Amino acid sequence: MTIEDQLRAILRDVLGLDAGRAAALDADTPLFGAMPELDSMAVAGLLTEIEDRLHILIEDDEVGGEMLETFGGLAAFVKGKRGA
Amino acid sequence: MTAARSPRVHLYADGEFMLSYGPQDGPQLLVLQPLFEEMNRCRAMIAGLCRALAGRGIGCWLPDLPGTGESLRALDTLTWEDWLAAVETAAATVREGTGTAPAVLAIRGGALLDHRAGSKRLRLAPTTGRSLLSDLRRSALASGSDPAHPAGYTVSPALAEALGAAAPSLDGEIRTLRLASDDRPADHRIEGMPLWRRPEPETDRDMETALVEEIARWAMA
Repeated sequence: MTIEDQLRAILRDVLGLDAGRAAALDADTPLFGAMPELDSMAVAGLLTEIEDRLHILIEDDEVGGEMLETFGGLAAFVKGKRGA
Repeated sequence: MTAARSPRVHLYADGEFMLSYGPQDGPQLLVLQPLFEEMNRCRAMIAGLCRALAGRGIGCWLPDLPGTGESLRALDTLTWEDWLAAVETAAATVREGTGTAPAVLAIRGGALLDHRAGSKRLRLAPTTGRSLLSDLRRSALASGSDPAHPAGYTVSPALAEALGAAAPSLDGEIRTLRLASDDRPADHRIEGMPLWRRPEPETDRDMETALVEEIARWAMA
């Protein structure tokens, strides 16, 4: 499974997106501020679930900005963390 | 299938609450709930599991830890050892009440405490204390509340420190269940949603059915 597919599955599970919406997530899909389910509390669960399932550690000062702006930004952040 | 009856209320560890479901003869199961907000999110699922397992002839016991659920004690006065001791006392209460040492079902953060409750243990999606602590801290940051009092959970520095270092014990006869979406080591995987992540309590009937089958087979073995 690609990082993108893993992130789609995590967003679906954490936010309760239906399969169609999760599959439609692409690099340009806006996330924080645009997706109603992704409020600031949901971000906490999303980050912890990404850490647990993708085996990375996310520091507090890395959170925000481009990494949560779009789906592509989130995928790029995770790939950078994994050195992929 | 016996009709679902109301759970009975018990007291353990100086006035803490514990519910029991189903027969008090035959196999007994002590259920250790997730910690903090995850406990609330999973409450409906766990009550459903207990009722279904009771209908299969398995007595289920559901303690609220000190400082959680129906407990009258304040969370900020508690230490990690208080929780470990409570779990041990809950298991002893089941043993004294039924004559049977309970098997233990530990869900999420409950797995951090389960080694004090018994040696035969089934874990659902066990997590680490570090991960739970990150969640508490991030929820506090995200909601703009004081990180020392995240989302209404006032945790003493001593409890936070012990939690951060806690990991599920490897001693004993352990079987681990995880969701199919989680690739960390497990004995068996179940299709389903991580209900402990959902802000609104939800149920997942297919997952509940699969869990009941898996838990009943294990508890009866």
